[in-house]
Amino acid sequence: MRGPGVLRSGWAALLLVLAAFVHPAAAGELTRKDIEKNFPPPLVVGERDDRLPVWPILKQQAGSYEVFAYAFESIDFAPIPGFGGTPPDLLIALSPDGTFRDVKVLSHKEPVFLEGLGSEPLFAFVEQYAGLSARQPIRVGRPNARAGGASPQTTVDGIAMATASTRTINQSVLASALAVARGKLGFGAANLGLSVQAKPDLSEKLSLDALLARGWVRRLTVTNAEATKAFRGTGVGDIGEGAPDDALTDLYVALLDVPSIGRNLLGEARFAALMRELGPGNHAVMVLSAGPSDSPENPLGESFVLGSVPERIAVSQGGLVVNARDMAVERRGAGLAEGLPPGDWAILRIDAAAGFDPSAPWTLTEKIVRERGQILSEKIARDFSVETRLPGELFTKVAAEGEADWTESWRARWPTLLVLAAMLGLLVPVLARQKGLVADARRFPAFRLAFLAVTLGFVGYAAQAQLSIVTVMGLVRAVFRTHDFAFLLYDPPSLVLWAFVLASLVAWGRGTFCGWLCPFGAMQELAAFLAKPLKIRQIAVPPWLDRPLRLTKYVVLAGLLAATAAGSPLADPVAEVEPFKTAITLSFVRSWPFVAYAVGLIVLNLFVYKGFCRYLCPLGATLAAMGRLRLLNWIPRRAECGTPCQLCKVRCRYGAIAPTGRIDYTECFQCMDCVTIIHDPGQCVPQVVARRHAKRIVPRPAVAAR
Amino acid sequence: MTAPVTRRRAVLGACGLAALGAAAFRARAAERGLVSRTRAGLGLGTTVALTAAGPDPVALEAALSEGFAALRAVEAAGSLFRPDSALSRLNRAGRLDDPPDHLVALLTHALTLAERTGGAFDPTVQPLWPLWFEAAGRGGRPEPAALTACLARIGWRRVACAPEVIVLEPGTEVTLNALVQGYAADRVMAVLRARGIADAFVDTGEFGAVGAHPDGTPWRLGIADPRREGEVAAVLGPFTGFAATSGDYHMAFSPDFADHHIYDPRTGHSPRGLASVTVTAPSGLVADGLSTACMVLGREKGAALVAGEPGCAARFAEKA
Repeated sequence: MRGPGVLRSGWAALLLVLAAFVHPAAAGELTRKDIEKNFPPPLVVGERDDRLPVWPILKQQAGSYEVFAYAFESIDFAPIPGFGGTPPDLLIALSPDGTFRDVKVLSHKEPVFLEGLGSEPLFAFVEQYAGLSARQPIRVGRPNARAGGASPQTTVDGIAMATASTRTINQSVLASALAVARGKLGFGAANLGLSVQAKPDLSEKLSLDALLARGWVRRLTVTNAEATKAFRGTGVGDIGEGAPDDALTDLYVALLDVPSIGRNLLGEARFAALMRELGPGNHAVMVLSAGPSDSPENPLGESFVLGSVPERIAVSQGGLVVNARDMAVERRGAGLAEGLPPGDWAILRIDAAAGFDPSAPWTLTEKIVRERGQILSEKIARDFSVETRLPGELFTKVAAEGEADWTESWRARWPTLLVLAAMLGLLVPVLARQKGLVADARRFPAFRLAFLAVTLGFVGYAAQAQLSIVTVMGLVRAVFRTHDFAFLLYDPPSLVLWAFVLASLVAWGRGTFCGWLCPFGAMQELAAFLAKPLKIRQIAVPPWLDRPLRLTKYVVLAGLLAATAAGSPLADPVAEVEPFKTAITLSFVRSWPFVAYAVGLIVLNLFVYKGFCRYLCPLGATLAAMGRLRLLNWIPRRAECGTPCQLCKVRCRYGAIAPTGRIDYTECFQCMDCVTIIHDPGQCVPQVVARRHAKRIVPRPAVAAR
Repeated sequence: MTAPVTRRRAVLGACGLAALGAAAFRARAAERGLVSRTRAGLGLGTTVALTAAGPDPVALEAALSEGFAALRAVEAAGSLFRPDSALSRLNRAGRLDDPPDHLVALLTHALTLAERTGGAFDPTVQPLWPLWFEAAGRGGRPEPAALTACLARIGWRRVACAPEVIVLEPGTEVTLNALVQGYAADRVMAVLRARGIADAFVDTGEFGAVGAHPDGTPWRLGIADPRREGEVAAVLGPFTGFAATSGDYHMAFSPDFADHHIYDPRTGHSPRGLASVTVTAPSGLVADGLSTACMVLGREKGAALVAGEPGCAARFAEKA
């Protein structure tokens, strides 16, 4: 028996090997020919930029060329993982003035579109970007949001059931367009890949007045007279009821992630809480409205939606609006903190990927909207803004080159990983110590059921770490075609589980995963347990049928791997033989044939125990094939096993014990039933017989052969 | 300094092409056993296009790839549109050890021309650009005091250029935008010739041509009307060698074209006399430098300067 230390170092080695294969980010694959197909003559595809993966699309005009658009793949600039970790790839054409010419979907793995909705709604979704400006933040609204009155310049209609996927697509479009705009169109500083963070240990005690005096907190006051002046000549009546010098709106603006600002404004505890929630590299801008709170001009008043990108305030830098969303921090009473004037407030989060550089001047703009006319009223807007310039010494600049985004998903999922580690840490000693809990015929089944419930609920549904043949296919694809293994890193729980399963494979065989850690397997076993009161009789599959059926899964696996290696489009549909996506990932919310198939397999399981696992599962086949590397024959055998005793063989629900008593480890699910029997003097027939023969014969001890 | 790529083109490329229809040309070229290949792209703050003709399309593609590589090498040395170019680094640091050969060639030519024109051509006018650009953004002109302060940082004698090191006096910033496009045309053409290309047309913002159009007709070059966008004021044909145009309309700060991107280094304002100057010369570098110098010198002195250069000719367009 190898100790768990060996297993742990095994994982570490595997992680290292994987990390060595990983490229910093996924890369676009379009060639000049592909680009030319998308931008046919009279457009001309220019030489690819020698620094950024951007193709200039040119238009010939009277013998010389003009830039029509910059074409690029979103995955080169913003590989934002979608559902299941694969980033969508979009072909985006951005015109020189910063408007989208065209957005097309090149590839995606969003299950909600791949089945169920179909890809058409997605194609229609991205078409909405044509004509919109990358200078503005664009939000995904509800379906039909535009028809419902949302601004068609800053809103795209969402898709019901696909909120998460459309948000990923939107982020990919905006973040990549912003990066290209900064790099190619000369908007703002070319701070692509640059991460600017406030120095965390640089903190100075400063009052609000001192902060205002330094310009670290800025105030944007618009008086009635100023607003009236700005709207002069537009046909809008006077604004505000108060005296001309009274404030119509009065905003305090501050970058909270600078400790000398945030700690002084919020106090230690709330600052620390905010920084924890914000996460490293991201920025938080406070906007506090100290003007008349019941005024319709208050941008944080009634019209403000918690957790939204505010409609009437915007953060911009270098002429480009930066996506800044309200963090929906718990509002406790009216005031944000002591020492700040009372009033409505919002803390806007700017994602690290937005390319925002807080050490360069940035602007907060407030939009004041007035209506003109009584019946067919028309909206007229005027912008008022204030610029913040913070000293560069407050920040550290890190060129983010080479550091891929995957570290983020590991940091974000550490609680999940902790629970997973605890589960595995519990499982290994229980399975290893055969004379411990395993030998306890009463308590061990209870432990097993509880563990399977956690496997289903936590590993399956909560952590979404159902291992799948799709990952194996991804590996094959990476080896043969893409050479990019980064996709593995975006799903930390699955990767950890894979590492553990590979290690357990070498020690014990496929059973550790198939019998203990597969959520769909757990679902079948729990269903079978619940069905016991129904008195359903298991159908015994005769050996002449059982043997070829067992081989079926290897045939399925071979077909899948061959199709994948050859790049056949059949690979993905055939992978649906595995019901995990339907049952676990999508919780049975899927089109009916898939649901019927998955439910059918569970019903089959009531008659033919774990029929899917034993006969069809390509992942099980993979593990069984690799399980031939197994080092330990860990199931104890006695000389009487097989001749004459057939108890374990009969009791094995997996048919993994031959009449001779030999264990077929490739079919063993490590349920431990036979191990429990052999360690139970009341069940193990040779031991019972031996005891009956009184004390004349000393029972032969059970030995685990190596 | 990054400027948007919205330059109105001085010269309209191989403008004959638009008149006859491409199909007819291809047919006639095919009769002669020639094919042509064009590659376009972005470089030097503008669109660039390289056309080469010959019997072997594979050789043409290889030559054009090499042509673009030559263009990128010139950019890496002397483009202000690239923050990482040797010239940008020189401006930031005030000193550059082991400068690339292209930069030394460009700067040496600039300083020689500055001396010959008595400082009318001056590569150190770069500090004027942000001053005017910012003022134009506000809708005005720079403050006289700011202009005076800026002029104190200008003067070509503040640059010391040697193959080993380039040193600028404090506050000095160099622009080679008046030369780099013409120089790039030279370098690209040299690469194409070395590859055995006999017929080529190069547009790097300025123009170069060798041989003839693959259909056998000579290359022709249309000169843009400085006031009517898209109109051709004159046609140079047959055109071989190099041509460069400087005009007040490329990057005008005022609607009447009085203030623009070419500065008189003595006043800090744009010269008043000419709307545009086109110079043809045996090299792009020479043509480009002369055209800018002529804008500052005016018609009379400019004509005299060009007359003194072998193989060069100038065409002037007065301001209306």
